[in-house]
Amino acid sequence: MGRRIQVLALLVSTCAYLAGQAGPTERQSIDNAAVNRGRTVYAQYCINCHGSNVKGGDNGPDLIRSVVVLRDRLGNDIGPAMKKLDGHPKDLTSAQIVDLSHFLHQRIEATSSNRNTNQPPNVLTGNVEAGKTYFNGAGKCSTCHSPTGDLARIGTRYTPINLQQRFLFPSVARGGKTTEVTVTPASGKAITGTLVRIDDFDVSLRDAGGEFLTFRRGPNVKVEVRDPLAAHHELLDQYTDADMHNIVAYLESLK
Amino acid sequence: MKLIGHIAAVILLSAVMLAQAPLDPAKLLQLPTDMWPMAQGDYTGRHYSPLTKINSTNVNSLTLSWVYRANPGSGPAGGGGATSATIKGTPLQINGVMYLTIPDHVWAVDARTGREMWHFSWRSKGGWHIGNRGAAVLGNTLYVETPDCNLIALNIKDGKERWHKEICDLEQFYYGSVAPTIVKNHVIVGVSGDDLDIPGYVESHDPETGELQWRWYTHPNPDDPEAKTWPSVEAMLHGGGMTWGPSAYDPELNLYYIGTGNPQPVIAGRARQGDNLYTESIVALNPDTGKLVWYFQASPHDTHDWDAIEAPILFDGEINGTRRKLLAQASRNGWFFVLDRATGKNIVSTEFVKTNWTKGVDAKGQPIPDPKKEPQFDGALVSPNQGGAVNWPPPSFNPDTGLFYVNATRAFSVYYLYDTDDKPEGWGGNDRSGWSEGMLEALDYKTGKVKWVHKWAGNGGVRSGLLSTAGNLLFAGDNAANLIAFNPKDGTILWHAGMHASMSNTPITYELDGVQYLVAAAGDSLYAFAMLAK
Repeated sequence: MGRRIQVLALLVSTCAYLAGQAGPTERQSIDNAAVNRGRTVYAQYCINCHGSNVKGGDNGPDLIRSVVVLRDRLGNDIGPAMKKLDGHPKDLTSAQIVDLSHFLHQRIEATSSNRNTNQPPNVLTGNVEAGKTYFNGAGKCSTCHSPTGDLARIGTRYTPINLQQRFLFPSVARGGKTTEVTVTPASGKAITGTLVRIDDFDVSLRDAGGEFLTFRRGPNVKVEVRDPLAAHHELLDQYTDADMHNIVAYLESLK
Repeated sequence: MKLIGHIAAVILLSAVMLAQAPLDPAKLLQLPTDMWPMAQGDYTGRHYSPLTKINSTNVNSLTLSWVYRANPGSGPAGGGGATSATIKGTPLQINGVMYLTIPDHVWAVDARTGREMWHFSWRSKGGWHIGNRGAAVLGNTLYVETPDCNLIALNIKDGKERWHKEICDLEQFYYGSVAPTIVKNHVIVGVSGDDLDIPGYVESHDPETGELQWRWYTHPNPDDPEAKTWPSVEAMLHGGGMTWGPSAYDPELNLYYIGTGNPQPVIAGRARQGDNLYTESIVALNPDTGKLVWYFQASPHDTHDWDAIEAPILFDGEINGTRRKLLAQASRNGWFFVLDRATGKNIVSTEFVKTNWTKGVDAKGQPIPDPKKEPQFDGALVSPNQGGAVNWPPPSFNPDTGLFYVNATRAFSVYYLYDTDDKPEGWGGNDRSGWSEGMLEALDYKTGKVKWVHKWAGNGGVRSGLLSTAGNLLFAGDNAANLIAFNPKDGTILWHAGMHASMSNTPITYELDGVQYLVAAAGDSLYAFAMLAK
């Protein structure tokens, strides 16, 4: 692909991405260097009233929720607004106002997308011993798993948040396991294989020889699906949040 | 040959005449038969048809009549193209012409043949292009929202624009996705958007000029007693409650019903302690003034994004031997509510899937949230997940069986807080989903008890709308691209057809020239089934 085509493709994909996002397509492009300069301007002139988090205080409104700031582009709205309002600096240069605009828009962008962080502050809040007790007792985890076998050193392989997600919601593919299905047609012997697809009308499997087979379901066709994770799904109704945190602590301790 | 030419000309003229035929407003007050005149089918929102030509004894004779593939073109993003061509909206069928939508696009299609008649494309300035829920028609004019916050009026004859009006502020991260509702001389629209902390509202426009008639915000006035459900006026005025779902209307009571969305900040709720009225509520408004008449809150102080915007369904039924005007909703939080729609008083509150977030219900029948199941910094295991026990695809109520049908999901996820600030904004957290299972349920409206359930094969919830008919049929889609007919009395499967993708909207049915059609969307295509003469 030529460089020009690559650039075009990048532009198109960027535009497509922006078109699918909240807010206007033609939003202000954030300049990080300007954001840093704007932060300094903010700290010098604005922070006392609008707060260190830009969310306002007793003496000034929240600027992330400000319609004036939201509609601003490169200072064209906040500059005149500051000139009109009492108690606002009148001697900022045009460049300082643009920098301030970049800083405020960066705060807006960060807020409007703050659902996307995948790392909670700290999920390692449980008790190791309580987790071990649950593992070997009420949870019956030790029926299938072992801290010296499949879970040996698991605390070194995954972050706490991933440990939490993986034990709560294990996936068949991730665990290297498969869902088995046995189909017994009306006339014929039972066939067992790896489940490929199932709905109310058809079931498809791959047998031990690697052959792909599909069967029409019906009253005379017996279908038995064996989900290797069924016990995990049933546990979701039984875990307390304390159990969840204790198990994470225990698994994380397996180093 | 000359005769054939004359016939062709007559057919062509007929098609044009059909395309020009306006919608008689009286049709909005009737059960849908030869038309599907509004996204909900009729004002009750039941997604029920009295048609019986296709019925449980002959549904196996249905054949594919036509397929129409919506092609938005390949224009640049923001220019009307390059958007996901998934048909989520329920199409309209008026005088033989079908009107379907995706974000920034409207098509008119011959409802007998699936041939395109016109295509309207809007040059977008942005906004979420997540989906468009449909259009509305009054007389000769079609009304549709765009993601960049416009209400557009089109001439149904040729798709030419008559006017457009801004209905929300794109700069504040609002967007448009809602199917407008026509009530008398009002085009009533809702708004979407919860990326920043902005208030939701419903507003009404003049059908001829587009001028604003009234706006009702989904929060109390600062002096109202309900304002005490917020810690401050600022929190209330930035408290969300979008109105992105379907609505219903009772002409006798002259009440317009709609559900409201989640409060904001969405997940991190510690700076908005209280019930946060009127978010996540079912509300009744006077459609002439926009004044609130009553409210019922489905999820007080929600912190899980469980919009209560699911379709309010209207029907009359017997409660303890007395005929009552009822409203039912299967809500995203996993609870089924039946209310007296004249007063908003609660009659039934019960889970339709098992959940783990409440401590029971209060005296008003509203669930009491368990604070321990609010999102936590180290996570809280919650059921249902953010997608909910149901979402936007509408349910169906069948007056013949007295059953309320819903495509339900049982799901778990862990809800996390991310924002450690004293005043969180935006979302401030999120959930990470893990496991879910889907099922089609039939609920007894008098008790909320599950009369029958059909568990969908495989894991995962199913998002498809439902349609039931007097032909003793219930139509639904599964996750495996099947359109399925059930016996609504017991959940027995009677028929199915495979499509190229799973059903992405809600099926409709109508009768033209003595032929009953069944139409459903899968991705970018409409599939029409019928029993055609040879």
